[in-house]
Amino acid sequence: MMTLVMGGAASGKSEFAEQLLLQSGILPRYYIATMQPFDEECRLRIEKHRQMRAQKRFETIECYTGLADLHLPQKGAVLLECMSNLVANELYSPEGAGEEALSAILTGVEQLAAQSRQLVVVSNEVFSGGLDYAGDTGRYLRLLAEVNRKLAARAHRVCEVVCGIPQEHKGGWQEHADA
Amino acid sequence: MIFITGPLYSGKRAFAAQLLHCTEQQLGQYAVWDVQQLAADCAGTDDLTALADRLAAHPVVIATEVGGGVVPVDEAQRAAREAAGRLACLLAARADTVVRLFCGLPTVLKGRIAP
Repeated sequence: MMTLVMGGAASGKSEFAEQLLLQSGILPRYYIATMQPFDEECRLRIEKHRQMRAQKRFETIECYTGLADLHLPQKGAVLLECMSNLVANELYSPEGAGEEALSAILTGVEQLAAQSRQLVVVSNEVFSGGLDYAGDTGRYLRLLAEVNRKLAARAHRVCEVVCGIPQEHKGGWQEHADA
Repeated sequence: MIFITGPLYSGKRAFAAQLLHCTEQQLGQYAVWDVQQLAADCAGTDDLTALADRLAAHPVVIATEVGGGVVPVDEAQRAAREAAGRLACLLAARADTVVRLFCGLPTVLKGRIAP
């Protein structure tokens, strides 16, 4: 089963996504981290989160680009966070897919879904602030939005986390509550 | 009138076309979109009300939500954003049905759409 968890910055979407997988009881638990550490602040933030997740028995696997080539040791519960970073990496990183970013990401998610008993994808809601951005940001927004729409269509469940509270947009949340 | 709103690139026009049983190319015959941009040209409340009345004559009116970011430093951008939000409220009041798109998924906020 695939779940898409959307939300703005600091909306509580990560915690909610973790909870979904903890409640599923499925082991092992993998956390696919997409944020590339560019500076010391990033590194400290990543290390803190890695330790927090280790206590919850999540094994962290880093994947900045090329999700389709990722092979998980076992079929378990998988949390991919965050799509907004993966899209930026595929679009702008020298190792990224560039023009082929959309298909690289969608293929990658399919591969990941095939290796998961439960897959939760976290993505970012950044589309309500208008379009007055400089440079290439419009291209990035269009691609991230397309990825989000495709994943929402593919996912069994979609929710938007607001102040830590999930608002359901799609799916049988109730029937899967114990799954 | 059906008023469709939602964030940027959330699938508003694709949903409208599906609702109207037409292609996105044919949508211009029945619908107006990006109406938030028209709001910026309105001088005051009367103008905005008149615009909302005119737009409401279309079967479908589509606006992009633009009020979710930080308040713009630029005065003109600030005014445009304000007008866009108020226009959306006026349109929603005139609409029989209001639908908000999110990642391509519709939520009916007012009225109902045929299944």
